[in-house]
Amino acid sequence: MGNRMQEQKSSITTTLLAAVISFVFVLALFYGLDHLVMSMQGLPLNADLSPAG
Amino acid sequence: MSVLIKTLGFSFALTLVFTLVTYLLPQVEGEAPVEKDVDLNTLTMDDFIAMGEDLFNNKGTCTLCHKPPPIGRAPDIEGFDMVAVSIERLADERYQGDAKDAAGYILESMVAPSQYVVATWGKKGSNDTESPMPAIDKAPIELSAIEMDAIIAYLQAKDGNEVTVSLPLPEDAAVVADTGSAAPVDGGLPAPAATVDEALGKYACSSCHSMDSADTLVGPGLADVGARLSVEEIRESIVDPNAVITEGFPAAMPADFADKMTVKELDMIVKYLAEKQ
Amino acid sequence: MNRLFDSILPWGKALCWAVLVALLALGVAQAAGDDALSRISPVGMVQVEGEPPIEMPVAVEEEVVEPMVAPRPTRADYPNIGVSSRAIVWVLAQLHLFFAALVLAVPLFVLTIELLGVFTGDERYDSMAHEFMKISLTGFSITAIFGGSLALALFLLYPDFMAYMTHVFGAQLMVYAGLFFLESFFLYTYYYGWNAFRYGNLKWVHLTLGLLLNAAGMTIMVVSNSWATFMMAPSGVNEVGAVIGNIWEVMKGPLWNPINLHRFIANIAFGGAVVGAYAAFKFLSTNDPEKRAHYDWMGYTSNFIAILAFLPLPFAGYWLMAEIYAYSQQMGITAMGGILAWLFIVQAVLIGTILLAGNFYLWAGMSRTDGSERYKGLIKFIAFVLVVCFLIWVTPHTLILSASEIALLGGSHHHILGPLGIMPAKNVAVNLMLVVTFLSFQLYRRSDKVATVSWAPMGNALMVAIYVVAIANIIFLGVYYGYFTNTVYKVGSSVAQVASTLVVIVAGIVIDTLMFKNAKTLPSHWGRIPDRSQYALFALPIAFTWLMGLMGYVRSSVKTHWHVYTVMKDNSPDNFIPTIGYAGNMITIVTVLFLLCVLFMFWVANLSGTRQSKPIAVVEGGVA
Repeated sequence: MGNRMQEQKSSITTTLLAAVISFVFVLALFYGLDHLVMSMQGLPLNADLSPAG
Repeated sequence: MSVLIKTLGFSFALTLVFTLVTYLLPQVEGEAPVEKDVDLNTLTMDDFIAMGEDLFNNKGTCTLCHKPPPIGRAPDIEGFDMVAVSIERLADERYQGDAKDAAGYILESMVAPSQYVVATWGKKGSNDTESPMPAIDKAPIELSAIEMDAIIAYLQAKDGNEVTVSLPLPEDAAVVADTGSAAPVDGGLPAPAATVDEALGKYACSSCHSMDSADTLVGPGLADVGARLSVEEIRESIVDPNAVITEGFPAAMPADFADKMTVKELDMIVKYLAEKQ
Repeated sequence: MNRLFDSILPWGKALCWAVLVALLALGVAQAAGDDALSRISPVGMVQVEGEPPIEMPVAVEEEVVEPMVAPRPTRADYPNIGVSSRAIVWVLAQLHLFFAALVLAVPLFVLTIELLGVFTGDERYDSMAHEFMKISLTGFSITAIFGGSLALALFLLYPDFMAYMTHVFGAQLMVYAGLFFLESFFLYTYYYGWNAFRYGNLKWVHLTLGLLLNAAGMTIMVVSNSWATFMMAPSGVNEVGAVIGNIWEVMKGPLWNPINLHRFIANIAFGGAVVGAYAAFKFLSTNDPEKRAHYDWMGYTSNFIAILAFLPLPFAGYWLMAEIYAYSQQMGITAMGGILAWLFIVQAVLIGTILLAGNFYLWAGMSRTDGSERYKGLIKFIAFVLVVCFLIWVTPHTLILSASEIALLGGSHHHILGPLGIMPAKNVAVNLMLVVTFLSFQLYRRSDKVATVSWAPMGNALMVAIYVVAIANIIFLGVYYGYFTNTVYKVGSSVAQVASTLVVIVAGIVIDTLMFKNAKTLPSHWGRIPDRSQYALFALPIAFTWLMGLMGYVRSSVKTHWHVYTVMKDNSPDNFIPTIGYAGNMITIVTVLFLLCVLFMFWVANLSGTRQSKPIAVVEGGVA
C-alpha cells in the first residue's frame, strides 16, 4: 500500500519535473527566437526585450 | 435530388452572406484623378492655396503616408509648421541639398526625396540615406510644377506663414493643360457659378433662408448673419451644417455642400454673408 | 521484359515528338529574339598567311529604330460595346483563373497521392488519385475555353493595351502556346495510361508522366504570372514603356516570385477544397456504407490537403505584400490603408469562415474514432479562442481617406474599437487562430492513437509548454511592440509572431511523428460522421472561390488608373476602383458561374461511368 503511494508520488514528481523542465526550456527557446528574428531584421533587442536600436 | 437542392442552396446562401458583408461596408469609389481646369486669369492666392490643399489630400496622395503617429509612415506634415521645420532641417549638418529657403526645401523634398531623409524615416536598411517616398513629379503621381507650387503655398499658409511662391502666370496655363492626359468626363458637373447671386441661386439658399430679413423660413434669416457669426463659423455652418445648429431649428440643411461647391463658390458665399451685418 | 519495351516504345516515340515540338517552339522564340545581322554574319574569317587580317567592309547600316513606347490611348480609343468592358474581362479572367488553379493543383496532389500509394502499397490511394484526375479532366478544356475567350475579349476591348503587351512579351507568347501542346500530351497520356501502366516499372513511367505534366503546368503558370506582375510592377522597360531589357528582365519583376509562390500554394488549397466538395456530395447522395466510407475518407483527405496548403498561405501573402511595399510604398498603402483596406474585413470574414469550417470538420470527424473522448474537452476552448480572435480580426481599423471619404464615413477613427482595429491586434488574432487550428488538427491526428514510447509524458509536457509559451509570446510581441514601441519594431515583431506560429507547427509535426511511431492504434470507422459535417466541405470551396475573387480585385485595383503601373495610363471609362459592393456583386456572379461549371464537370465525369440499359423490344400487336 505504502509502496504504491510512493510510486504514485514519484510519478507525480516526474510529471511535474518534466513539465517544469520543458517549460523553462521552451521559454528560453522562444526568448532566443525573438532575439534572433528581430536582430536578423536589423532590430536588436536589449536583454529585457526592449528595443536597443 | 434533394441532396443537390440542399447543397446548392447552402452554397448560394453562403455566397449571399459574403455579398451582404460587402454591402455593410462604406461604398467608396477610388476615382482616377480628374484634371481640373484652373482659370489662371482669375486665380487668387486663396484659390491657389485651396488648390494646394486639395492636391495634398487627393491627387498628390500625400496623406497616404504623411499622417499623425502612430499610424503615419512619414513625418506628420499637417501637424508641423513646415516652414519652421524646414529651416531646422536646412541647418542640420546632415543636410547636403541645394535649397536655400523653406520653399526650396519643400520643393526639393518633393522632386528628390532622398536628398535629405529625416532621421528614422529612411528605407529600412538604408541608414536614412534613401527615402521610401516617390518623386512626385514622376509617374505614378506626376504633379506639374504649378501644382507643386500650390502645395508649397498651402504648406506655408496653413500655419500662418507668408506665402513666398508666386502665382502662376496665364502663360503657364499650357503647362497645366499638358499634364492633363485624362480625358474630360462628358456630361460632368455643372459649370461653377461666376457671381455670388449665381451661386446662391445654384444652391437654392433662399428657398430656406431669407436673405434680406431676419424672418424665419425653414432656416434662420440671414440678413444680419455677419454680425452673429464670424467668417469661420459661417464657413463651418455651410460645410458642416449639423455641427452647430441654431436653437430651435431642425437639422434640415443639406450636408453635402462641401462636396458640391467649388472652393471659389464657397468663398464668394462666405464673403457675401460675412458682409451682411 | 519484352512486354515492357513493347508498351514503352510507342510512348517513347511520342515523347520524342513532344520534345521536338518544344525545341522547335523554343527555336522559333530564339530566332525571333536574335537580330538579323548576327544570323547572317559569316562564321569564319579569311586571312592570308603573313598578312594582317583583311578588313571586311561590313556595310553597317545603323537602322535607328525608335523603340516602341507605351501607347497613350484616349477615351475614344477604347471600343464601346454598351456593356462595361471591364466587367466582361473581369468575369472571363476570373473564371479562367479559377479553372486554371484547379487543373494545375489537381495533378500536383494526384501525383503525391499516387506516390503515397506506391510507397504504402495501399490500393485505395491509387484509385482515389485516379478518381481525382477523372473528375477534373473536363476542367482542362473549360480552362482553355475561358482562356481563349479572355484573350479575344482583351484584344477586342483593349486593343492598345494588348498591342503593347504583345510587343513587350513578343516571342514569349509563342513559347506559352507551345507549352499547351506539352501539357495536353502529358495530361492525356497520364490520365488514359493510368491502368495501362499500373504496376512495377511501368508505374514509374506513369509517375514520370505525372511529373512532366506538373512541370508543364507550373511553367505555364509562371509564364502567365509574369504578365500580371509586369502590369503591377513593370521591369525591363524605361519610364515611357520602351523595352530596354531582354525578355528575362521583363519577366523577372520584383513581384513575380512572390506571386508565383502565393498562387502555387493557393492553387493546392483551392483544388483540395473543390474535390472535397465532390466527395461530400457523393457521401450525402448514398446510403451504401461502403461508399460512404470511401467518400468520407476522400473528403477527409481533400480537406487535409486544403487546410495544410492553406496554413502557410498567410506567410506567402505577407512576403508578397512586403515586396509590394518595397517596390512602391504608395501601392502598398493603397492596398492596405486606402479605400481597399475595407476589403480586408471581408477577407477576414472569408478566412474566418474557412478556419471555422475546417475546425468544425475536424471536430465532427473525431466521432470516427473511439479514442477521441480524451480530447473532447479542449474543443470548447479552441472554439472560444477562434471566435474571439475572429471578432478582433473583423474589427474595422483606421483608414486613410480623402476629405470627402472621411465625411462619408463620419471620421477615420472608430472611437471604442480603435485600439483593436489596428494591425498588431489583428496579427495576434490571426496567429492565434492558426495556432489553435493546428491544435485541432493535432488532436484529430492523435485521437485514434495511444503513444507507446517511454518518453511520451515528457513529449506531452514539451508540446503543452510550446503551445503555452508560443501563445504568450505571440500576445506579448503584438501588445508590447505594437503599442509601446515605434513603427519599425512593430512591423518587425510581426515576423517574430509568424516565426512563433511556425515553431508550433514544425515542433508539433516533429514531436508527433516521433512519439506516435509504432503507436497503438484504436479502431476508427470511416463513414461514421454526421451528415451536417459535410456542409463544412461545401463552405470551404465557396469561401476559397470567393476569397480568390476578392483578392484578384485588390491585386488588380492597386494599379489604380494604370494599365501598366507608371508606364501606361488607363483612360478607359472604367479607370476607377469600383466600390466594394459592386466588387461583391461581380465576385458572387463569377462564384456562382464557377459553381455551375464545376457541377457540369462533375456530372460529365460521372456520365462516363453510367451505362444505359438496353431497351427491351416491346412487341406491338402480338406479332413476333
